[in-house]
Amino acid sequence: MDHFAVTNLTFAYAEDAPPIFQELTFAPEPGTFNLLTGPSGSGKSTLLKLLAGLYPQYGGVIQSGQVTVNDTEISTLQPFQRAAHVAMLFQNPSRQFAMRTVLEQLQFALANLQLSPPEIDRRIQTVLTDLHLTQFTHRALETLSGGEQQRVALASVLALGSSLILLDEPFANVDAAGRTQLLADLKTLQRTQHKTIILADHDLSGYAGLVDQLYHVDGTQRTLLQESPAALPATTPATPVQGQPLTTGPLAWHDLSLTVGDRPLITAAQFTLPASQLGLLSGDNGAGKSTLFAALTRQRRYAGDIRYQDRPAKQYKLKQWALQVAEVYQNSPDQFIRIQASDELALSAQHSLHPTYWTAERIAQAAARLNLAAVLDHVSYALSGGQQKKLQVLSMLIMGQPVLLLDEPFAGLDQASLQAVLTLLQQTIHDLQLSALVVSHQRQGVVSFMDYELHLADQQLQLIAGEAA
Amino acid sequence: MTQTADTPRGLNAATLTLIMIGIGFPLTFAQSVWLNTIVAGLGLLYLIALRVSWRKVSLILLIALPLAFGSWISFWFFGTVDRWHLAWMYGSRVYAYLLLGMIVTMTVSTQRWLVSLHLHFHLPNAFVFGLLGALNMADRVRHEFRRIQYSALMRGENLRLWNPLLYLRIVLVSLNWSNDLAEAMTSQGFTENAPRTELIADPMPAWQWGLAGGLIVIYCAAAFGLRPW
Amino acid sequence: MQHANSQVAQVNPVRWTIRDVIFLALIGVFFGIIYQLWSYVYYALAATPLKPYANDMTIGVWIMAGPLAGVLLRKVGASVIGELLAAAVEMMLFSSWGAADLISGFIQGIGNELGFAATGYKNWDKLGLLMSTIGATIVTFAWDWFQSGYKAYTPTMNITLLIIRFVSIGFFSGVLVYWIRQLVAKTGLLK
Ligand SMILES: Nc1ncnc2c1ncn2[C@@H]1O[C@H](COP(=O)(O)OP(=O)(O)O)[C@@H](O)[C@H]1O
Ligand SMILES: [Mg+2]
Repeated sequence: MDHFAVTNLTFAYAEDAPPIFQELTFAPEPGTFNLLTGPSGSGKSTLLKLLAGLYPQYGGVIQSGQVTVNDTEISTLQPFQRAAHVAMLFQNPSRQFAMRTVLEQLQFALANLQLSPPEIDRRIQTVLTDLHLTQFTHRALETLSGGEQQRVALASVLALGSSLILLDEPFANVDAAGRTQLLADLKTLQRTQHKTIILADHDLSGYAGLVDQLYHVDGTQRTLLQESPAALPATTPATPVQGQPLTTGPLAWHDLSLTVGDRPLITAAQFTLPASQLGLLSGDNGAGKSTLFAALTRQRRYAGDIRYQDRPAKQYKLKQWALQVAEVYQNSPDQFIRIQASDELALSAQHSLHPTYWTAERIAQAAARLNLAAVLDHVSYALSGGQQKKLQVLSMLIMGQPVLLLDEPFAGLDQASLQAVLTLLQQTIHDLQLSALVVSHQRQGVVSFMDYELHLADQQLQLIAGEAA
Repeated sequence: MTQTADTPRGLNAATLTLIMIGIGFPLTFAQSVWLNTIVAGLGLLYLIALRVSWRKVSLILLIALPLAFGSWISFWFFGTVDRWHLAWMYGSRVYAYLLLGMIVTMTVSTQRWLVSLHLHFHLPNAFVFGLLGALNMADRVRHEFRRIQYSALMRGENLRLWNPLLYLRIVLVSLNWSNDLAEAMTSQGFTENAPRTELIADPMPAWQWGLAGGLIVIYCAAAFGLRPW
Repeated sequence: MQHANSQVAQVNPVRWTIRDVIFLALIGVFFGIIYQLWSYVYYALAATPLKPYANDMTIGVWIMAGPLAGVLLRKVGASVIGELLAAAVEMMLFSSWGAADLISGFIQGIGNELGFAATGYKNWDKLGLLMSTIGATIVTFAWDWFQSGYKAYTPTMNITLLIIRFVSIGFFSGVLVYWIRQLVAKTGLLK
């Protein structure tokens, strides 16, 4: 049984940067299931990568202390030696596979350990059987769902024989069923094979009764606080949206169907996005919410009909379409086309569709309300996650496209910022009569601003709050 | 190229690569319509022997026609001496090059090609798996490119191909993704310059070295000794 | 959410890591898409007697990947390897040219590399890019002298082509690459 220990660790991303962890000491109990929580940006990923020995190889400086496995400093081991002790599942399943198919991926991982070919075959057989993945052996990874991809990643970790399994927000692209299954698999591995599991997640639901230890990354004290797993919520009842009667609006879709490979995501959906109203688009991770946005912004193929003011989407040039249907991207850097934050706003102001509304004073006021004024002369990419979100939302509101789609715009926002963003959003779509649709896994503090809720489940897009006029 | 390391057909990928480069390079300095035609013809025969899809081959050959024609006619127009010969020589050269490429690209999978270069020409593993990893992301790269353009169009700007801001985004995305994938591969035990189990058998019999060497020598002798028309 | 700043790449002048390779290969895949867009322009011209002019006007675009790799990674050999990786990607994903892609990728990369080498790999800035522009112009022109038969054209035409080529390489692989590097530096994401 391997023993991992973090001792008096001080770690920063650069010599002159403030440390993320200061004098951190932490040792996971072998054979336990540990949950690591904390708001986005608090340092969960950083800690996992330190445990995996990826830092400092891939960045940062250990200013004092060490991370050890069985008393050897982990960063001094070669990757193929480390992999037998610890391996990691990453947030974005699509960026953790070098190879094309499930089999090739497993072979890749095991060949790194210099095992003999028969041993490689044997291990692959075993893990695929254990995780019920045999039917996927020759499938291309790209065609698997997020949950299936994460189980393949788990299979590689198992095959490598690592005793510590690290998972960094592994459910970001995984639906509820996939999540339940992956959690059950992990629990079994912990029980039967005495794996030590550390899983980072900012969403605490569904862990009650499953985890042995709960840790909270405290960003201000730069350390880890242990909490009682009894504090985990049993199941959080979803706060419902109080629906309003819906208005009508310019963007509508009929008979819309979306597939990934041969997997259907949405079948025969129909809706008209109401103007001057703010809607919540809910549904499991991986259900197809972002994919719906991609279709509405004409980034991917779809079957059926998307219309703007009764004209089919394809009759518009992409350039015109982009001035009608806008998106606030989930991944902030996808939004930026300037370097400095103030230039992002200036660009939007220059091309705004509502130049008389967005006067310089109004923009300055909005920036102040979002607490951005002090960082406008910073490089956008260097802002914190929450600041980047606010900058994105403000830039797109200044553009003021008639239809605005927002994909997880509240990630990494503290309570005050959330309130400020929602207030600004509500006021602007009202004043400018925009149709806005929001994807947000977070409901608390959000739903009271929503006029309706569209729910995506079992390939069906359903209006579950708010009545069509 | 197809993407899987399917069962190899025909010559070893390293042999083919050697032939492709070994003849492709001197071909630049050779001046013969005949030799170009022979090289292109042999390449075509090899493709036929391996039963490569006729439709694909014809399509590629057809698409190259304007280029060959462009070469042909530019020498007809601008050539100073011996215009007939030059026009046909540079026109046929387009096809000689193309078929030399096709004997590799149309008969060998990406993975086998890279593994073969690793086993027989010592291409480091970092290049083999780095390239494979990046190539397997090609579809996502295409989507990302569309998204970059859309993100700019939404802001009333069109990122044209000479706009540095377009490339900034490309560089940043590549930086981000390469970092994620490299970390994942490292966590799966990949170690630069460390030995790995070689799972793909890729025999390269001696006669294939001989064949490649022989063809190159014969070609060079013909091109620079015989110098046919 | 993914952090834009989750990787401040460190520069090591000789060693090639898997991350460097993936990085350049991904840029190569993006370039593959860009080449496809350019190739429409190129094709329209290249099917006419103006083909040599089309070659020389667009050459700066085809060779950009090399000097870009050079100024981003600042490694010995980065231009050649960057250009070769882009050529390999091109060969495997987008075209059937194979030999031509690899050989010309190598030649172009060498041209740029010689420029940076001439500064002793000390200058990756304006001077380095000027040298690499000159290196690439000379080497690729010499190559086309044989490969595309430029030696058969009149001296006047050759001088015109040489000037066009210098301007094309100077803009795309010099000025544009310089701007890109400046922008990347401003983001602080690459040391
Ligand atoms: N490579 C990096 N370089 C500089 N700062 C980073 C890097 N990665 C993360 N950070 C910063 O470190 C802090 C912790 O980040 P992270 O560990 O990703 O948090 P979490 O996983 O909890 O969201 C954040 O402020 C983040 O911006
Ligand atoms: Mg994280």
